Amino acid sequence: MKNKLKFLVNTSLKKKIKSKWFLVANLIIAVIIIAVINIDSIITLFGGDFNKKDKIYMLDETNEIYENFKQNLGYYETTLYGEENESYEVILENKSLDDLKKIISEDEKDSIIIQVYYNKDNRLSSKLISLSTMDTYDYQLISNALMTTTSMYTLNSIGLSEEQYNKIINGVEVEREILDENITSEDEDTGMIMTTVFPVLILPFFMLTIFLVQFIGSEVNDEKSTKSMEIIISNVSPKIHFAAKIIANNLFIFAQVVLIVMYAVMGFGIRKVVGGDSIINGIGSEVGNILKTLMSGALSDKFIFVLIFTIVLMLLTFIAYSLVAGILASMTTNAEDYQQVQVPIMITLLLGYYLSIMAGMFKGALFIKVLSFVPFISAILSPSLLILGQIGVIEMIISIVIMVLTVYLLMKYGLRIYKVGILNYSSTGMWKKMFSSIKNK
Amino acid sequence: MLKLENVTKYYGDFKAVDNLSFEVNEGEIFGLLGINGAGKTTTFRMIMGLLDKTSGSITLNGKNIDYSVTDNIGFLTEERSLLTKLTVREQAIYFGSLKGMKNDKILERLDYLLNKFGINEYKDKKIKELSKGNQQKIQFITAILNEPKLLILDEPFSGLDPFNIELFKEEILNLSKKGSMIIFSSHRMDHVELFCKKLVILVNGKTVLEGNIKDIKESYQKKNIVLKGDIDLEKLKSIKGVEKLVEKSDEYEITISSKDVVGDVFKFISKCKNITKFVVEEPSLNEIFISKVGESYEK
Repeated sequence: MKNKLKFLVNTSLKKKIKSKWFLVANLIIAVIIIAVINIDSIITLFGGDFNKKDKIYMLDETNEIYENFKQNLGYYETTLYGEENESYEVILENKSLDDLKKIISEDEKDSIIIQVYYNKDNRLSSKLISLSTMDTYDYQLISNALMTTTSMYTLNSIGLSEEQYNKIINGVEVEREILDENITSEDEDTGMIMTTVFPVLILPFFMLTIFLVQFIGSEVNDEKSTKSMEIIISNVSPKIHFAAKIIANNLFIFAQVVLIVMYAVMGFGIRKVVGGDSIINGIGSEVGNILKTLMSGALSDKFIFVLIFTIVLMLLTFIAYSLVAGILASMTTNAEDYQQVQVPIMITLLLGYYLSIMAGMFKGALFIKVLSFVPFISAILSPSLLILGQIGVIEMIISIVIMVLTVYLLMKYGLRIYKVGILNYSSTGMWKKMFSSIKNK
Repeated sequence: MLKLENVTKYYGDFKAVDNLSFEVNEGEIFGLLGINGAGKTTTFRMIMGLLDKTSGSITLNGKNIDYSVTDNIGFLTEERSLLTKLTVREQAIYFGSLKGMKNDKILERLDYLLNKFGINEYKDKKIKELSKGNQQKIQFITAILNEPKLLILDEPFSGLDPFNIELFKEEILNLSKKGSMIIFSSHRMDHVELFCKKLVILVNGKTVLEGNIKDIKESYQKKNIVLKGDIDLEKLKSIKGVEKLVEKSDEYEITISSKDVVGDVFKFISKCKNITKFVVEEPSLNEIFISKVGESYEK
């Protein structure tokens, strides 16, 4: 029987891997992943230039702000914002404001004008002028550098001593203290990392679960609708057959995960060879930082634990979903029937997905904490709540234990339904048959 | 030996098989007959372990049939039971491997059987691309790939032309000669008569007739007489015991209630002119079947 199990698993796996759709789907997935990772190089290839410096024309009434602003902008960009290169060229201009406005309106549409002047009350003021809206990142960068420079100039001009000046400039050091002894400041970093890493896990999980449910359903239905199930079950027990379906499809999903990771590695490999522009940091410095952290291996133990727990919970949930899909598919007589009965699975999946996305909105309410223990939903909801600090590691372990129990019960009682279901060709009284078969031993 | 003893099967309150018993010995071909819904397929599924019996016992060589012996059983279902997206070769490997056969043995047997049925060119064709008759051949081939000790054939000849029926018959007889126990069901009584020595006729799950075909025919009271000549049909019909008269081209066939009537008919015929044919025949299995099924329904 072991050989027959192995044979059934191999056959099921080979059938999927050798299929044309698998090849096509993986080609598409690989291209998308590699393209997303190297999006800046691709844009550059089509004429985009991320290294091109935009101009900042400066009209400086003080004649002293320009040099300091130039230095401060460079410092902010490269040191504080972590950019590899400076992306602005600051030019001191003598032209009139109207002339400069004409230039950026007609020729240099990405250029910016900064006017530093004394207003009617003889107070130092500044104005940032651009043709259209600026993105938040650029606006913050330039305005912060400008505010610092003008503040320094003002403080300097009122004749403060160096000691006083430094006290004001350095400000007050902010220390962080968390009263809960179980939480360290590292957890905040973990949280930050997970807030970005988690969506990367949640979407493939959601997608692969849908694949899994579809694969098992179509395989069982194919064998049932062609009546070849009679021949199969007259040679292997329903238990072996059920186990083969679960193992083969979960292995296939695992292989798909490995392939996705491989495509990502390939993407980063290509990026290293081609040499990406600074767009990744531009899009969101968080992603860049996380990648750096992940690559440097400087992850906290807690992060590793959370990641392991999340993966374990997801694997258990994959198994549970495949068991439910197998049970439901066994009771249906054709693909159309299966499409209908799998609706509850899809709704549960979507519920978990949306709850995890909106987890923060519930502000740690008991309702959402209880839902995080619910099997099938817990795989994505528990890690979300853990990241938000609304549940602890203990609660996550409880979710895992509940999931293990669920898998056990599904195996035990689901097999009873499966035994009856796979040779049932009538769709009348399906649910009644299902529940009565649970009593069979 | 396959032995069914007092096997009963209920679906809820409905009794599908009622106290069925029979034996099939090595090398024997056994017919399980009955109209639609008589309980034949249910019986086959119970033998194969696909359905649990409500009571009774089913044994193969004294042991209950379980997955330790199914590698030696071949099963051809009434409906097509092939994975139509597979090629003939893949299908044979799939079912053969489930019988515990090695790939090289499967392919060797497949080549032999495909040649025998004259469809070797379909080896790498998908099953869904084959005609109904060729699909039936593939189904039969996959059922006998393992040269089973017990072969169950549920309506094996459906969709086949007379030429292919002969090929099937030949292979079934071959297996029988090699010692296989073969049970088969068919609506075609002429097929059953060709193969089977023993049979059971089921009506509503109940056995209405069982035993050796020869004995059944002999014990069946009614006989047929075929006549040819100038016969006064009205007088012939009036003879006590003559139940039915059928005109068949230039012949007449009468059914008599028992062989005791033969003498009276012969006496009458000897007085008629130009008599060239007087043959007393055993009734066909079809007649016996219809008569038994009819009797049972009337009850």
